[in-house]
Amino acid sequence: MVSPHGILLATHIISSSYGEQCSKVCDCLLRHGILSLAQIIRFTELTKESVVNCLRVLFNQNCVQPFSSQREGGFGEAPRIVTQYIVLFDNIIHKLRAPKFMQIVSEELGSDCLNIFHGLIQHGRLSLNRIIERNEQTTGKTDVQVLKESFNRLLNFRFIERCPSPEPFLAPQDNEEPPVKKRGARRGETQEVLTVEQRVLEAATPMESLRFLVDVDFASEEKVEETHAKVTLGKKRKSEAMVPDEDVMGAGEKKEVLWRVNYEEFVRRLRDKACISYVKTRLNDEASIVLSAILELSKNSTVRHKVVESAYLSINAIYDEVIKKDGGIGMDFDHIRASLAQLGCTCSSADGEAYSIDLKGITDKAQSEEVESVVLKRYGREAYRIFRLLSKAGRFLETDKISDDTFVEKKDTLKILYKLWKDDLLDMEKIMLNGGKQVAFLLWRVNKGPLFEKFRDEMYHAALNLRLRIIHEQEQAKEVRL
Amino acid sequence: MSRSLGGPSAKRKRPETDAPRLVDAELAILNSIKSKKDSGIWIRDIKLDTKLTDHVVNKSLKSLIAKKLVKEVVNIQYKGKKHYMAVEFEPSKEITGGEWYTNGNLDKELINALQRLCLKYMMAQRVATLQGVQNELKRSGVVNFEVSAQQVSEILNSMVLDDQIIEVKSTGLGDYHSIPIGTICYRTASVAGIAKGAKVGAFASTPCGACPRISLCTSEGLITPSSCVYYSKWLDIDF
Repeated sequence: MVSPHGILLATHIISSSYGEQCSKVCDCLLRHGILSLAQIIRFTELTKESVVNCLRVLFNQNCVQPFSSQREGGFGEAPRIVTQYIVLFDNIIHKLRAPKFMQIVSEELGSDCLNIFHGLIQHGRLSLNRIIERNEQTTGKTDVQVLKESFNRLLNFRFIERCPSPEPFLAPQDNEEPPVKKRGARRGETQEVLTVEQRVLEAATPMESLRFLVDVDFASEEKVEETHAKVTLGKKRKSEAMVPDEDVMGAGEKKEVLWRVNYEEFVRRLRDKACISYVKTRLNDEASIVLSAILELSKNSTVRHKVVESAYLSINAIYDEVIKKDGGIGMDFDHIRASLAQLGCTCSSADGEAYSIDLKGITDKAQSEEVESVVLKRYGREAYRIFRLLSKAGRFLETDKISDDTFVEKKDTLKILYKLWKDDLLDMEKIMLNGGKQVAFLLWRVNKGPLFEKFRDEMYHAALNLRLRIIHEQEQAKEVRL
Repeated sequence: MSRSLGGPSAKRKRPETDAPRLVDAELAILNSIKSKKDSGIWIRDIKLDTKLTDHVVNKSLKSLIAKKLVKEVVNIQYKGKKHYMAVEFEPSKEITGGEWYTNGNLDKELINALQRLCLKYMMAQRVATLQGVQNELKRSGVVNFEVSAQQVSEILNSMVLDDQIIEVKSTGLGDYHSIPIGTICYRTASVAGIAKGAKVGAFASTPCGACPRISLCTSEGLITPSSCVYYSKWLDIDF
């Protein structure tokens, strides 16, 4: 489930770009999880037409993914196929990052590619014909060959991809629980919803071989009718009972391949860049070169940004990639092995000498340092030292032990620990020992999972605050001009 | 009545009869104190143990201190409470707070001085082992006591927590050529890191990241992003 400020930020983004009604639908999906059209209408209290229009806009902007699944019928009724909607929170937040993504495209591929990319950022999903038309309108250039080359370059860099299936069918699972649980088991609910979201996205994503495959022959392509989701609404339903909500995404119309921005690739690039920079600072240049080589070799297998570790790569493959890098030409196998050890790579000797990198370990450390930095700013140097001790230990420590290890006065230690605990940065447990007389011990721990969630929520809060402040400043500027 | 019965002789006898009682009290108190060994005992606990009156306990303690049988010690946990210990014992770590405490206070000057020395040595060496740092501290002669490996380890660990230095394992290559592979050693975090202390994170460098009141900040209310003075300063729009 998305955190409270995550919801506020996402609805603010949608509201400022696509209006209040879309924001309401988005908010409803974010709060309730997976819903059918009827449920969305009931929760939002909007008309059916409004909800359908909002869903079209959100779908077209890749913020909502419909999917169909089989639902058990009532007594004496056959199972039926229902369409449900899931909101893609990450894609909404990526809208904030669009300028950064455009900067990357501009720097790596130039202005022609940027123009195509900008169109996709703006419109969400476009067919090749629409891209050509838009290019002619915005740049006045009519050379399709040049556009084709730019388009291919974007595809080769995996900056864009084929749109996923508009309504994948989610096969029922054995012992499947209902996707949305009732209130109560919050943690269980989160895992359940995420699992369904992952399954839906997996079912919707085209095969890897098709995802970045372009129909090269532009000239012979038929000028098919406009089919993307912005086309006129209200086409006649074919069979509402069999294919529910078919008209919402225009699925019944003639198909044309649609393209969109591949956010995953940008997230992967930025993640890799951050990891390399972190390793360069914390270890050394050689380790960062080796890491850079490993990430380059495994970039297609670690696209999903939640990948925990890379595939096993042979030492020869790593060496070949390392010597291509700046500063890597002087490195020999011993240097590479030493760097791999520093990076904490696991070695497998099943297929010769092969190594896998623990990416999660690196990102966890980098994230921990971000959190520690906030603790330093908000609570001071001694709190920072205490927090780092607990963060590194990863287990409960007693007050006196903390005081001894951090060189903080014992009475100050307790005050700081209490303050951190009060602000939900630490867990505390009280242990009573009954010897001659009762003695109480206080134990403290940093619980990274909930803590990272808390900080993520604060970051959404901060992003929302910045947007609100900018709006406030713009309004002030308007008043000054008047 | 007793006075009149006893007469002048009773007056003379009184100190003799009182003296053994006081000695008894002192003995009881001394035993109570000694039984706590190097942990010391709080004056109130002495009273409870011996069931003597405040006046007798106070007087006896004064006498015992004067006779150099008992000493007053500062308990780091309860600085305001008077604790006593037999002279033959040295206060335990729990009482004093450990080697880094002097008279119940953390000796920050000593710690800082040792940290500075360690950092200076590490900047010169780039990479150092615990043994190397200990030898350097011994050689420099800046401290008038024997610095144990445990103490050096504590100093280095506190520097790791302050992000001044990093704990690494030797690879046996480059800077680590003189250190056996796998040996734990320490090196400076980075040149920039030393100058600035810990690196400021991206989120921490924004007003909201550094704000301890972020949980109270809402779009409407007392604390709002629209009226936030930290934002004004950050965005450089403070007229």
